[in-house]
Amino acid sequence: MTDQPDPKRPTKSQSTRGGSVFSKLFAHQESGLVLVIILLMTALSIYGHFVPSESKDSIVLDESAQIRFVDAGGMEHGSGELGRNQIAGYRIIQDGKTTDYPAAGSRYDSDARTLFTEHRANRFLNKGNLVLIAKNASFFAIMAVGMTGVIILAGIDLSVGSIYGFAAILGAMALNKLGTDASWMLSIPIGLGVCVLAGALCGLANGAMTVGFGVHPFVITLGMMASLRGLTVYTAQAAYEKQSIAGLSESFTTGFIKKEFFGVYPVPIMFMIAIAVAGWFVLTRTVFGRRIMAIGGNETAAKYAGIPVGRVKIWVYTITGALAGLSAALYIGYLGSAETNAGNAYELQVIAATVIGGASLMGGRGTALGAVLGAIVIQLIGNAMVILGVDPSVNQIVMGGAIVLAVVIDQTKQRLAARRG
Amino acid sequence: MPMTATDTVLIAERISKRFGQTQALSDVSVSFRAGEVHALMGENGAGKSTLGKVIAGLHKQDTGTVSLLGQTLEAGSLDGAFHAGIRIVHQELAQCPNLSVAENLCLHDMPTRNGMVDFAEMIRRAEELVHQLDPTIDVRRPLGLLSPGRRQICQIAASLDRSEDGSTNAKVIVFDEPTSSLSISEANTLMGITRQLAADGLTIIYVSHRMSEIFGCCDRVSVLRDGKFVATNVVAEIDEPTLVEQMIGRRLSTPGAKGSLKAAISEIADDDNHAPPAGEPRMVVRDLNSPGKLQDISFELHPGEVLGVGGLVGAGRSELFDALFGIDTRATGSIVVDGNDIAGKGTRAAIKAGVGVGYVPEDRRIQGLFFNLGIDENILAPIMPEIAGMGGVRNAAEELEIVQRRIEKFQIKTASLRATTPDELSGGNQQKLLIARWMTQNTRVLLLDEPTRGIDVGTKAEVYKLIREAAEAGLAILLVSSEMPELLALSDRILVMGDGRIQGELTGTDMTQTNILTLATKENTPIGV
Repeated sequence: MTDQPDPKRPTKSQSTRGGSVFSKLFAHQESGLVLVIILLMTALSIYGHFVPSESKDSIVLDESAQIRFVDAGGMEHGSGELGRNQIAGYRIIQDGKTTDYPAAGSRYDSDARTLFTEHRANRFLNKGNLVLIAKNASFFAIMAVGMTGVIILAGIDLSVGSIYGFAAILGAMALNKLGTDASWMLSIPIGLGVCVLAGALCGLANGAMTVGFGVHPFVITLGMMASLRGLTVYTAQAAYEKQSIAGLSESFTTGFIKKEFFGVYPVPIMFMIAIAVAGWFVLTRTVFGRRIMAIGGNETAAKYAGIPVGRVKIWVYTITGALAGLSAALYIGYLGSAETNAGNAYELQVIAATVIGGASLMGGRGTALGAVLGAIVIQLIGNAMVILGVDPSVNQIVMGGAIVLAVVIDQTKQRLAARRG
Repeated sequence: MPMTATDTVLIAERISKRFGQTQALSDVSVSFRAGEVHALMGENGAGKSTLGKVIAGLHKQDTGTVSLLGQTLEAGSLDGAFHAGIRIVHQELAQCPNLSVAENLCLHDMPTRNGMVDFAEMIRRAEELVHQLDPTIDVRRPLGLLSPGRRQICQIAASLDRSEDGSTNAKVIVFDEPTSSLSISEANTLMGITRQLAADGLTIIYVSHRMSEIFGCCDRVSVLRDGKFVATNVVAEIDEPTLVEQMIGRRLSTPGAKGSLKAAISEIADDDNHAPPAGEPRMVVRDLNSPGKLQDISFELHPGEVLGVGGLVGAGRSELFDALFGIDTRATGSIVVDGNDIAGKGTRAAIKAGVGVGYVPEDRRIQGLFFNLGIDENILAPIMPEIAGMGGVRNAAEELEIVQRRIEKFQIKTASLRATTPDELSGGNQQKLLIARWMTQNTRVLLLDEPTRGIDVGTKAEVYKLIREAAEAGLAILLVSSEMPELLALSDRILVMGDGRIQGELTGTDMTQTNILTLATKENTPIGV
């Protein structure tokens, strides 16, 4: 269409700006994702509260323990003094400590001297579960931030899962060599350094080959995915003759990555937040980031604007590899060991997180925050399946559907916006 | 009933069409006769192209009717229009460059035998169509390997195809900006074909804003302005200034000017004495070669000079610019800008401070603009690193200031600096945006490749003024243009290229259209690959 809009009329971006709160909220992919996350969490909190756990705790009373039956008025009674439905709670006195259990969900078997209690905590909304979701998300989210850069370039990196596995094995070997008692001053820089450097070198190879040979990154990274996995298994076999390496420096594992604060392990999550902020900053506030956007938007025009296209691409793949390495460092630190098949098929989850986060596979569009939120959505769906007690294969079906749905919604939104404009 | 030249064939009546907030057409009525070439003319955004597409059923009008031989056509139905005998030829028409000409022509109805494609039949059918227009086209070749002009001819041939039931011949063909990517000789061929088709009794609707074509091959011209019908004129009875006045609704500003492209040019040509180059050259090119593209290019470019580069499409003009800017990395020879030899060192060497080569490429949509980024970043792309602070962190305040200054200087009409993307701008503003990108403190040599392609007369005048002003301020400018009057008026000297070589240099009174064409078409052996 050669007919151009009158430049004086308000443009679509402006009309969005002046639009209702609702349209404002959906102006960005991120706000839509936050809404999805809030809805999912609300639903899971409500549902998680009503589902009784299948496993019951049982407290067996030994000789020294006494049990009292408490009525609604708070008075203690002995065994048999109250009817079943008069009991408001059980009080156990053991080793001088007194513990109360509400009658609802509990049952006392006097013959076995055992109090059976149902686990009444919300199965979703509890500290442990939430931190677990965030921790699992952090491994993927960190890689997804790098992948966002690649996808904005209209490229793809299928090798992140293999890079993750390779970096993990190398990192674990280094930390194993240091020994379990190594000082944190050695183990932390070496653990992080080996993993990140290994990842960065693999990414550099991806970028250099893609640019140098002028071959589509799909092919290069597909090859990298297969050969790195082989190299990982080979390396572990050659050095340790096994597929799993444990015995890492504790100053790196429980002393750093899996350090406990207030009963939870927040270090991976802190890394995730830091990388998300850094990714946002680089993509929006630095020349490098804007060059990535420009190349993704129109590579030919980028060349004609004097942007060093090849160099930018190589950096993006290198950074993506480095972030896969960082993610691997968190993994071995958290689990205290590394397996040669670690990260298998992770590339799909990472790409899914990026795409759910609003990045366009056609290039030119995507955000770091979106990628992190996308990773969280995926983990939430996975967690929901566990809470609902669904078969893991159904989990995969739902996950696949969610990815397609997210992209379809996004595309429809874009199309509507284009029509309005 | 035999048709005479005055029979009305097609009537577009009270057509209105709105795109979003833009009223592209309001209450437009035009009637077309058999055997005439009827031009639709207007500035960019006037609605001429939209009207053509409504007639062909590509766009659905909001109100109004299109009727062919008294029968009202279904609104917005490409199929309906096709079966009635209306065809459209336009740039974006589906073509598969990887398939042969024959396959492209038969895509809608592949001949088969025993369930397999009957290639012999396909080629026969394609040849029958194509060879009535140009017998030299080999229909077995991939379409993508043909020149743009020949591709266009194939499209026209396709439009002459009967619809599948074999009953409807083409009666009306809409040409939407048919020559915008063609060379001068190709455009002339096309105009010849257009006349031939009209002589056969077809109605040709010719959407264009090129004056020379209107006067060269059209019988009548209907002018649109801001989506409204202005007038239908018999071409033989109207002159260029009147037509331009109808298009823009005002005379161009220069006192005494005739109100046309010529006037726009004379505005800048009057105070231009075409001074011979003097002093130290800014850019010295010696023996520039590129395999299959350029051969032994040598010239000098002085500060304050506009050096025109003439030639036909395929002469190697854009290839020369690619080599000078460092995009063609296979180029050898020397390109010295104030002592720095940048040959073969890539684009970074060309744009770095102290050298400062800027390049406004030919195709702004493909080579120029970032449609996912705002106006600000489109302007800043090459210089962003220099504004940025430590570690490449952007300096928002300074960026904003620079962008505002440029927008103001170049009078780019945009709703917002950051939120507006280039696709929301008119073609003329898009082009000014690209020129603004390179008119920086750093730029000392500016390469302009077809800087006024596809923009309206008013914006052209602005661009001419900007180019002359920049040259007077000491910029050294190389200018490629296929519009002869533009090239002649803006240039101080003209190099004429052909077959990847410089065929000659024209200065002073030798700079004429005839001389350029004579040099450009000089026979030469093509350079070896």
